[in-house]
Amino acid sequence: MSEQNKKWTRAAVRGVTGKAIARPNRNAAVQSFVPAWLKGTGLTMQHFFRNTKERMLGQKRDPVLDNLDGGITTIEYPEEKRPYPERFRGLHRLTVRDDGSPRCVACLCCSTACPAQCIHIEPEEYPEGDERRGYERYPAKFVIDELRCVFCGFCVQACPCDAIRMDTGQHPTAYDSRDQFIYEKETLIEMDARGGGRRTANPRHEPGDSTHPGLSRDHEH
Amino acid sequence: MSGAEVFLSLIKIVIVIGFLLSMAAMAVWADRRQSAMLQDRVGPNRAVVNLPWWLARALMIGPAWLVAGLVSVPMWFGVTSAEVLPKVSAGVQFGILVGWFSLLLLSNYIRKHGSRGPVDRAIAAVDPRAYFYGGLILHLTALLLLPLLPKSMWQIAAKGWGWPFPETIQLATGLSGTFVAVVICSSALYAASKIEQGSTVGLRLAGTLHSVADAIKLIWKEDLRPRNADKLLYGLAPLLAMFPALVTFAVLPFGNTMCFVDTIDKATKKANGVLDFGELTNLASTVAANGQCAKGQIAVGLQVADLNVGLLYIFAIAGTGIIGAALAGWASDNKFALLGGLRATSQMVSYEVALGLSIVGMLMVTGSVHMGSIVDWQGANAWGIFVQPLGFLLFLTAVVAETKRVPFDQPEGESELVAGYFLEYSGMKFGLFFMGEYAEFVFSSALLVTLFFGGYHLPFIDPDGIRIVLGSSVIFEQSLQHWAVTLIHVGAFFGKTIVVMWLHVFIRWTLPRFRYDQVMKLGWTKLLPLALVNILLTGIVLLGCMDASPRVAVALDWAADLSQAFVALAAFGAVIWMITGLLDTPKRPTYRSSSSARYAAAAGGVKAGDMQA
Repeated sequence: MSEQNKKWTRAAVRGVTGKAIARPNRNAAVQSFVPAWLKGTGLTMQHFFRNTKERMLGQKRDPVLDNLDGGITTIEYPEEKRPYPERFRGLHRLTVRDDGSPRCVACLCCSTACPAQCIHIEPEEYPEGDERRGYERYPAKFVIDELRCVFCGFCVQACPCDAIRMDTGQHPTAYDSRDQFIYEKETLIEMDARGGGRRTANPRHEPGDSTHPGLSRDHEH
Repeated sequence: MSGAEVFLSLIKIVIVIGFLLSMAAMAVWADRRQSAMLQDRVGPNRAVVNLPWWLARALMIGPAWLVAGLVSVPMWFGVTSAEVLPKVSAGVQFGILVGWFSLLLLSNYIRKHGSRGPVDRAIAAVDPRAYFYGGLILHLTALLLLPLLPKSMWQIAAKGWGWPFPETIQLATGLSGTFVAVVICSSALYAASKIEQGSTVGLRLAGTLHSVADAIKLIWKEDLRPRNADKLLYGLAPLLAMFPALVTFAVLPFGNTMCFVDTIDKATKKANGVLDFGELTNLASTVAANGQCAKGQIAVGLQVADLNVGLLYIFAIAGTGIIGAALAGWASDNKFALLGGLRATSQMVSYEVALGLSIVGMLMVTGSVHMGSIVDWQGANAWGIFVQPLGFLLFLTAVVAETKRVPFDQPEGESELVAGYFLEYSGMKFGLFFMGEYAEFVFSSALLVTLFFGGYHLPFIDPDGIRIVLGSSVIFEQSLQHWAVTLIHVGAFFGKTIVVMWLHVFIRWTLPRFRYDQVMKLGWTKLLPLALVNILLTGIVLLGCMDASPRVAVALDWAADLSQAFVALAAFGAVIWMITGLLDTPKRPTYRSSSSARYAAAAGGVKAGDMQA
């Protein structure tokens, strides 16, 4: 045998390094499967009793408010709801003035700003003799296709009158057909804000009010 | 067979079929619900019927008042001095039970919904465990103290103290009955007053309504049939799968033998020896300790058919269950269904062998294949699980395989065969397969109870009353009426069946599915030889016991009584453990959601997490 071969064999003789892995234990208890089965059943029972107890006593931890360290963080949706952030953009609503009419003046800013083109407005003049005639218009039709909407919030930003808002805190409901997703003016007015109410905190200065910043009918040039 | 006996048989059939079908539907639901509870989900519990407030109030008050009336009114009539102690004792025990239980319910309700008024606050101020322990102490004190009262007291009471109540004894029992009634009525009223006027109450029955909703949904679903399916066999298969489970239940005794007194005909001065309709109300007041009816009484067994080949009949009929699965697989014209049917057939045929052989040991010990005798032997000696532990394990394994449940559900393993032999079925035909499977599951649990858990027997409850016996010494004795024992036994059988079903479901949610060749290997190379070994061992032990000295017989008697005592104590302990566990109110752990919140908390401040705003 040459010297080189000897070297090669000597290197291998150093022995196998690493961790020895125990052979699987194959005694009667393991093979019969009965202890393992009892242990597993005990574990499932433990879960069952603990969960049943917590639920019956109303001690179940809130998966959102109590951030669980590991474990199951399922939210059982219809019964439990993840609280949405305060500035969550939900379904739209049309805010109203003190007399209940929509604040919207049908300026078409929102429908122009809308990237999804889901807002359709048909403006109309107030009838002859109305205080507001000549100053502003009103939406005869105000339609939002909630299925088309991408909930970007541009319409809210574009609105000069704080007339459209997305602070309802609701996400679109599941409906049977597409036409149920088309919200008319009446539906949009009837939506409440998250905290309740249909107005906004920003005062609206009606023509004729002393606080009205713009031109009035009696203004002398 | 007289008309009255036919009538009784019909009632028994209705009870059995009703239990099977309702429990099968419930088990479908409970199976899912239990798994949901393991994983801390709600599971199927959303089916709800909205009741108006007045109906909800009526449902709370009505049954409670009915029970109160049924309990209290008979206490005012026809009491002899011998009956006073048991009646007063039962009334007091029941009153205490109702008392602490309604207090617990109320305190839980108040804790959840807030207190209104001083009564609520007083109830909620006490630790709920105190109610339970207090109730237990009262139960025991009443049980021990009432018999200690001097017998002369009852006798004096029986004689009466004269005006204004000539029968004072009647007054004593009547008043105790009325006390119970008042407790029940007032707690029902108080609970009903918690429902606000004008509100609606969602009736969920802990989610059990979901099984009803499922059944309604299945009935209205479209019934599809593959174009090339065999029309006749395709329709026949679900019926055949359903049939055996319903029929085999007929021979299982679900209660002790009832004895009716045969009235003596005035004209002939002889009893006719047949049960007439008029005699259905003549239930014997007590029976002998061995449960045999006395002379002049007519025995009515609480099983639909009292076959002396009971167990053989069960195996004969249960074997036909294979046909349903096989036909379904073949008639569906689907290769997955066919494979599922083949698997089901071979698996059930294989495990039928192990199933039959595993209980031969039990038959050798009890010396009968008559179900009633097997149950009676267990009642007189020890439950089958103590006598035949190996046989029990083998039987349990085989019966799970026979009902095709996890971990032996290869015939319908969805990862391989989509849904197995009932793949093509929809609507109520699918529902029939499902119901059949679960009816079989209910039946197998009932069979386990009958063979290994003492059937309708409870430890220390003999046909004539409670008798705690260890060896040859009687520790406690209390006679019970025949109707009460019958009620206890019937309740025990169905209750035990439900508990075993509940344990069965845990097997399903614990073990993963085996591979198909492992199933076959387990059946033929493990269970079958072990069953033969069990027979051999049983035979040797039986031979040894036959020729043993009387001392061994005494020791065996002691062992049997100790096993009964063990069962009684374990069941009692489990109930107390569960109740105290439910009453335990540990502090709810609160977790901070963000690290900044944790730092804030460490510094003694508060910072709400993002989601807590």
